[in-house]
Amino acid sequence: MQEFMQQVVSGIAIGGIFASLALALVLIYNAMGLVNFAQGEMAMMATFIAFTLIDRGVSYWIAFPATLLIAFAGGVAIQRVVIRPVERAPVLTLVIVTLGLAALVNGMAGFIYGYLPRAFPSPFPVVTVNVLGVFVSYRDLGVIAVSGVVLLAIYLLLQRTTIGLTMRAAAHHPEASRLLGVNVSWMLALGWGLASAVGAVSGIMAAPILFLEPNMMQTVIIYAFAAAVLGGVDSPLGAVIGGLIVGVTVNLAGAYIPFVGGDLQLAVALAIIITVLVLKPNGLFGRPSVRRV
Amino acid sequence: MLQRIRNAPTRYGLVVVVIILLLGLPTVISSFQAGEWAQALILAIAIMGLNILVGYSGQLSLGHGAFMALGAYTSAILAHRYKVDYLLTIPIAGLLTGIAGFLFGVPALRLSALYLALATFALAVVTPSLIKRPVGLTNGVQGIILLPPDPPQLAKDAFTIVTGRAMTSDQWTYYVTLAFAFVLFWLAWNLVRHRAGRAMRAIRDGEVAAAASGVNIAGYKTLAFGISALYAGIAGSLYGMSTGFVNPDTFPFSLSIQLLVGAVIGGLASIPGPLIGGIFAYFLPIYSNQWVPTQTWIPSQIASAVEKAGPAVTYGALLIVIMIFAPNGIVGLITGSYARLRRRLRGAVDRESGQAPPESQTA
Amino acid sequence: MAALLEMESVHAGYGPRSVLHGISINVAQGGIVSLLGANGAGKTTTLRAITAGVRWSGDIRFSGRSLRRMRTEDIVRAGIAHVPEGRGILTELTVDENLKLGAHLRSDSAEVRRDYDRVFEYFPVLKERRKLSASTLSGGEQQMLAVARALLMRPRLMLLDEPSLGLAPIVVRSIFEIIRTINQADHVAILLVEQNARLALDISSDAYVLEVGSVAVSGASADLKGNDSVRRSYLGY
Repeated sequence: MQEFMQQVVSGIAIGGIFASLALALVLIYNAMGLVNFAQGEMAMMATFIAFTLIDRGVSYWIAFPATLLIAFAGGVAIQRVVIRPVERAPVLTLVIVTLGLAALVNGMAGFIYGYLPRAFPSPFPVVTVNVLGVFVSYRDLGVIAVSGVVLLAIYLLLQRTTIGLTMRAAAHHPEASRLLGVNVSWMLALGWGLASAVGAVSGIMAAPILFLEPNMMQTVIIYAFAAAVLGGVDSPLGAVIGGLIVGVTVNLAGAYIPFVGGDLQLAVALAIIITVLVLKPNGLFGRPSVRRV
Repeated sequence: MLQRIRNAPTRYGLVVVVIILLLGLPTVISSFQAGEWAQALILAIAIMGLNILVGYSGQLSLGHGAFMALGAYTSAILAHRYKVDYLLTIPIAGLLTGIAGFLFGVPALRLSALYLALATFALAVVTPSLIKRPVGLTNGVQGIILLPPDPPQLAKDAFTIVTGRAMTSDQWTYYVTLAFAFVLFWLAWNLVRHRAGRAMRAIRDGEVAAAASGVNIAGYKTLAFGISALYAGIAGSLYGMSTGFVNPDTFPFSLSIQLLVGAVIGGLASIPGPLIGGIFAYFLPIYSNQWVPTQTWIPSQIASAVEKAGPAVTYGALLIVIMIFAPNGIVGLITGSYARLRRRLRGAVDRESGQAPPESQTA
Repeated sequence: MAALLEMESVHAGYGPRSVLHGISINVAQGGIVSLLGANGAGKTTTLRAITAGVRWSGDIRFSGRSLRRMRTEDIVRAGIAHVPEGRGILTELTVDENLKLGAHLRSDSAEVRRDYDRVFEYFPVLKERRKLSASTLSGGEQQMLAVARALLMRPRLMLLDEPSLGLAPIVVRSIFEIIRTINQADHVAILLVEQNARLALDISSDAYVLEVGSVAVSGASADLKGNDSVRRSYLGY
């Protein structure tokens, strides 16, 4: 029972990492009807930037928010330079553009930093802590706490602020929003910035576990897809819950089902995707509605 | 003059020229290069299959690499384990993969575009793992090694007569691939011109309307899946012949992406598109960063940085640029320019008749 | 004094198809102008041209300033509120959020609060359903929301596209009274597109009748109302 609870907590922690990246995917999907295949690579690059800052002596808790700001700016820049020229193109074109972006960012990271995996510091010591009679890893709790804070902040921003309101309006009803004076184009850019920052959180939390290297996020993004699909690809809440479910399921499967090794954990995630798609194509919280103007 | 280019005889002429060029290619390039061009043609065949699915019937697949793997392994197992003549295994592999694709197409009917993309994406990602498991059949991680095919005497003699050199297995592979490519492209051309093609395009352009016109949506959509898988299966089989081995890592997820990119860059819903796409998909990732240093007008610091950065950077950048400036692919770019030219000529006529079309205005 | 809105020889269309063939329309400061005509005459296209929803050529000036090359959101910020055909309700959001979007550009919070009070006075049902999703409103209630939202924008010119469409006569009457009040109390000029010619002529000071993309008849509403032949040929009653 002890071990089970530990695995569950670990699963929740990993789930937090998946949830953050899934939320980034959902934010962009809501804004553009597009799955951003470069989200993982953007998160990886942000993590490398954090690494560079920390390497130069910046303390972790200053480098972290600084990286989020830089990631935000980067996301905005990418939307303005790369995405906006093809904004009105069919989705397939946009998909190719994000694929190109993924290759580009991955190549650049490899070029600048090389492919050797690096250790990435975690501010949480690897000690076990007694919580309600269960010994859990302090690091897992830390990851859960950080993910939780970030996701809550995004929620508050989107639901309780004016700018969050205009972003949501621009995402769901671009034409009608323009008639209300909303600068839809800039709202899209902000959406990309926000998604990029949230994705960066995912990368920074994942790096101590996975070791930092250019291909680090490629499995994470697949789990994030599973989470987004499970939760309903247009639902931010769904992304979070989906992430937690995927994290716990994959972790428990890896721990308790004998032949599920490293690469088959991935298959578990994909089995989730396919099952959900067949049974409930819109996910747990998704809506079958068509985008309205 | 424009009229003439749009006329069939000139287009047939272009096709004949291309065919002659492709036939003669191995005589003027090295054996290694012939092997490279064979791989480009293999990709073109797979892309043609993907094009039938995506471009003509409007269903998205991010997992066609999985079908290539199925074809490749079918051939490899038949040839290696059951000693079937390799050339014979190719159509068998194609047929088997085609049936698999058809069966996959049945549940796929229930998924909307985005979810179909995700499902096929999942398939592509899990393919290497799936291949590794049945070790008895597939040899697991080690893969299956195939003997390079020896060209039959007739071909060898013919080649030596024409070029004065001995035919290598790479060159033989090239010609086998080319033969399959001719047949498959010709079949595709016929398919899109006749009823099946029209039905698929009707489905692509609007399922509700197509259903209302009595088109058997389910039938044609699964048929499209089956046919496109068949093409990919043959391509995979040829790929095994070309490289001489297959193992789980030969068909990673990135291959499926490469196929899709090639299809879009070449030009969806066109017959020449996949050929251009295959050439692009094979050669660009390898050579993209080598072109830059040869351009003397680019400052040397930039050039050397690009070269060291590796092909992924230039490849990615080129994808983005091409999509911005030629979203309908290269074929679209060419046909698009004709259309624009015609419209401008027609615009002049309108001015003569006194009716001005509305000016451009940012809307 | 120059009119608030001046449209001069405006051509507009969708792609190669031209819908408006050189129309000229003026709306005076604080005036109400109605735009009448059969379906397909180009009334909606006229409004869309003003807020850059369609390509146009010619000239459109608002307060003397040309709207050429301006983006929709900037035109709106300049003081034009456009309630489109279909009402443009953001159904993914709540009633309250829709209203907030009306006011989001304004910085005078005390005035905004007063406007909210007025809006709820005109349309008490909106106050009741504030926290509900806008998609739960009936057609009439959505129209009220659209007008309320436009009001919160404190525009100088309001473009209303078929406010009576699909609504019960009682609801229509109350909406039109509110429109009149808005115009008189807040000096908001109104350009009204309406199929219901009688209602429109009653409320407006001037009218234009469009036919196949051109202005067929124009003049003071009272004159048009009184002119039997105009009424019969163009207005159908």
